[in-house]
Amino acid sequence: MTVTHTFQAEQLVAGYDNKPVIQKISLEIPSNKISVIIGSNGCGKSTLLKTLARLIKPISGKVTLDGKAIGKISPKQLARVVGLLPQSPIVPEGISVADLVGRGRFPHQSLFSGWTKKDYEAVAEAMRIMDITEFANHNIDELSGGQRQRVWIAMALAQQTDILFLDEPTTFLDIAYQVEILDLLTDLNRTHGTTIVMVLHDINLSARYADYIFALHKGTLVSEGVPSKVITSSLVKEIFGLDCSVIEDPISGSPMVVPIGRYHANKCTP
Amino acid sequence: MKNPSIDFIMAGRRQRRRRWLLVTGILVVLACTLCITMLLLGNTIYPVKDVIRALSGEQLKGVSFAVNTIRLPRMLAGLFAGFAFGLAGYTFQTMLRNPLANPNVIGITSGSGAAAVFCIIILHTSGAIISVASVVAGLATVILIYFLSRGKSFSIGRLILVGIGIQAMLDAVISYLLLISAQQDIPAALRWLTGSLNGSQMKELPPLVITVLIFAPIVIMLGKHLNILELGEQAASSLGVDADKTRIALIVSSVIMIAIATAVTGPIAFVSFLSGPIAKRLVGVGFSNVIPAGLVGVNLVLASDLIGQFAFAYRFPVGIITGLLGAPYLIFLLIRMNRKGEL
Amino acid sequence: MSVKELIDGLFHPDIDSFETSVVRKRISRTVFSLLCGAALGVSGALMQAVTRNPIADPSILGVNTGASLFVVCGIAFLNISTANQYIWLALAGAAITAVFVFGIGSMGRGGATPIKLVLAGAATSAALSSLVTAIMIPRADVMDQFRFWQVGSVGSATWNGIATFSPFLIVGILIGFITAPALNALALGDDVATGLGVRTGVLRFFAALTGVLLCGATTALAGPIGFIGLLSTHVVRLILGPDLRFVIPMSALTGAIILTISDVGGRLIGGTGEVEVGVVTAFIGAPILIILAMKSKVRSL
Repeated sequence: MTVTHTFQAEQLVAGYDNKPVIQKISLEIPSNKISVIIGSNGCGKSTLLKTLARLIKPISGKVTLDGKAIGKISPKQLARVVGLLPQSPIVPEGISVADLVGRGRFPHQSLFSGWTKKDYEAVAEAMRIMDITEFANHNIDELSGGQRQRVWIAMALAQQTDILFLDEPTTFLDIAYQVEILDLLTDLNRTHGTTIVMVLHDINLSARYADYIFALHKGTLVSEGVPSKVITSSLVKEIFGLDCSVIEDPISGSPMVVPIGRYHANKCTP
Repeated sequence: MKNPSIDFIMAGRRQRRRRWLLVTGILVVLACTLCITMLLLGNTIYPVKDVIRALSGEQLKGVSFAVNTIRLPRMLAGLFAGFAFGLAGYTFQTMLRNPLANPNVIGITSGSGAAAVFCIIILHTSGAIISVASVVAGLATVILIYFLSRGKSFSIGRLILVGIGIQAMLDAVISYLLLISAQQDIPAALRWLTGSLNGSQMKELPPLVITVLIFAPIVIMLGKHLNILELGEQAASSLGVDADKTRIALIVSSVIMIAIATAVTGPIAFVSFLSGPIAKRLVGVGFSNVIPAGLVGVNLVLASDLIGQFAFAYRFPVGIITGLLGAPYLIFLLIRMNRKGEL
Repeated sequence: MSVKELIDGLFHPDIDSFETSVVRKRISRTVFSLLCGAALGVSGALMQAVTRNPIADPSILGVNTGASLFVVCGIAFLNISTANQYIWLALAGAAITAVFVFGIGSMGRGGATPIKLVLAGAATSAALSSLVTAIMIPRADVMDQFRFWQVGSVGSATWNGIATFSPFLIVGILIGFITAPALNALALGDDVATGLGVRTGVLRFFAALTGVLLCGATTALAGPIGFIGLLSTHVVRLILGPDLRFVIPMSALTGAIILTISDVGGRLIGGTGEVEVGVVTAFIGAPILIILAMKSKVRSL
């Protein structure tokens, strides 16, 4: 059974030290879909994600979950519906994988209780989805970078939220791991109906995995919609300043950006 | 459908839980043994029977005075101060995710110490005023360090550097105050330079006991939150921990305990620094280590005090022994952190 | 004190009143504090140049405490009591500690960063002061002698002490002068310095040795006085820029001035007693450390 939520931003202005980075963004996150926020470096995509996930308090405007401003919902209650995988999480030295994943159960636990049966089930399920069950009782220090990233995502999964934000979940990973992580997230979306919102660097992977794309440029939302509508050579020129040709991805049929550059431009047929 | 890996995960977790319980249990037993030893040992070793009778209020010549007036307050001061130092040290280290960021290194104990010395030597006050002054000074030191080290973005490195600077100033104040004190009595000086349980009196204890009984439970209750804070600001906030409020509650509780304990025993060197890492080594990190850290603190203080009293020809104050134990560990830790590139 | 009494004290050695003897005492004290300040200033400048690190200062690096430990051991175990004997022990202690602290501080990635050096210094200081106290406590007489020394004071200056100290200062400042151009090259990095024909190993060794020598000698006679090296070099650098050919001599001058002013200030604040100069310098010097920490970029910590 999938739960639907309306998650909206209205006239959102946010930034650091009262210097706005994003300007008057209004949007609605499509429920039970995978959305990807794209844009060039410093365009505010991370700021937008963090503001949506309440890590940054908006300067003006508001973010609402099912019509209620997220600032008005108690942190713990909100944490049962909205989860976030931070870009650079900190690993406590010497913790076991299962214990770390279990920390994602915090919003569901009371002050003193140990793990309940539900906690164990959630942890086991999260670890199964991320395929890290075999490491359950290993020390996290023994794991490779890609495996650690899966542990972190498992922790966010154990939180069992209907909406999950991920801030560049594939940075620092080899291309094979990137694809694997995105496949796992897609599994999650297809089987549990989890609404996923993420920031990705790679525009072609974004186009392939996203159901919906938000394109940001200089702090404003310049385009949104399904990838085939949004990803055009004029948009890429606008937000990345890159001349390119957009072709059809031979595998998935999604749009694929092929940069032109100065040396090969004459070979492209107009 | 039941996920078959649940049992696997559960077994591992149970095993770690057993270790936690076992270690904590051993620490409790050890602490009790040390407490009893402290009552029994002294210039004269009294039989257990006499000590119990003296404690229960019977007047026994010699025994009553030695046990009730000298050994009992000494033991209680060590017990509560050790718990407070261990608990607070662990809290700071975990919250700031750096074993070096503890009240000893960043100057909070020096703040409280300077205030207490000032009250005693210059104002000639005693009792509640000292407690209040040291709490205020401890909190003021924390606030000062926080604001000075805030900068554009928070950095532990900067916090530690600023803390060391503040500590240099406060230590200069303490040295100076000790130097100008009219009749330089060496026990008092030592107490403030290294921490000592000598001369602990029953009448000094109530503030310490009450503070620990109020604030230690708060820190213990927030142990789970502390574990989440350890994962970083963003993770904590996405898991529904109000990072700012939790941090303030933890800092205020810890600083109050440290300040009061420092006002009673002086800054017993390195206890707040050593307890957390030792507890972690013993228990692992899966569960909340707040209680084990406090217990390690108790054991460190009581054992070091016994060593200081009886192991050498001269009676050393407890702070010397913890200092000699702690300093090499500090250096070892630095070497390890440098090698791993954590600094 | 009137000008006449001052002149009597200075130029009429035959007049022997209370005031003139006070003046003479104060002269030796002033000369001594000027020399100590100069030595500490140069020492700080050299250490900063060698470690390429703006926070290096004898007190922050724990070198003072090393000297203290050796002096205490000397007082306690070898029955040493004269300045001539102190000085060699203090030098040995300072040198060993400097090597130790720098060794720990430069382990791992990135070499000796400010934060690593400061922490290594603070940790070593803490370790050594535990030892100092442990040696001192059972011996009340040692403690009494040591307590005053420990705060850092130029009050006990004698011409004899000055005579012992001057050669060290002169040699130190000379080496400072001579090595300055090469140290300028070192500031650009070891590779560049080598490319410019500097023998970095030899240079480092001599410059560091001189820095330790100067601060060890000062510590032996005046006790651990902190932060002068930090304070003076940063004042000079602020005004004259980073060229060590100017920074080293000017640090000597600035150090001398700062220490003397601190001493006079301490005497004035203290009224009938006095605030020892070590306390004063900690008070004006520690904020510099804090400001440096506040200004430095997170990454360079």
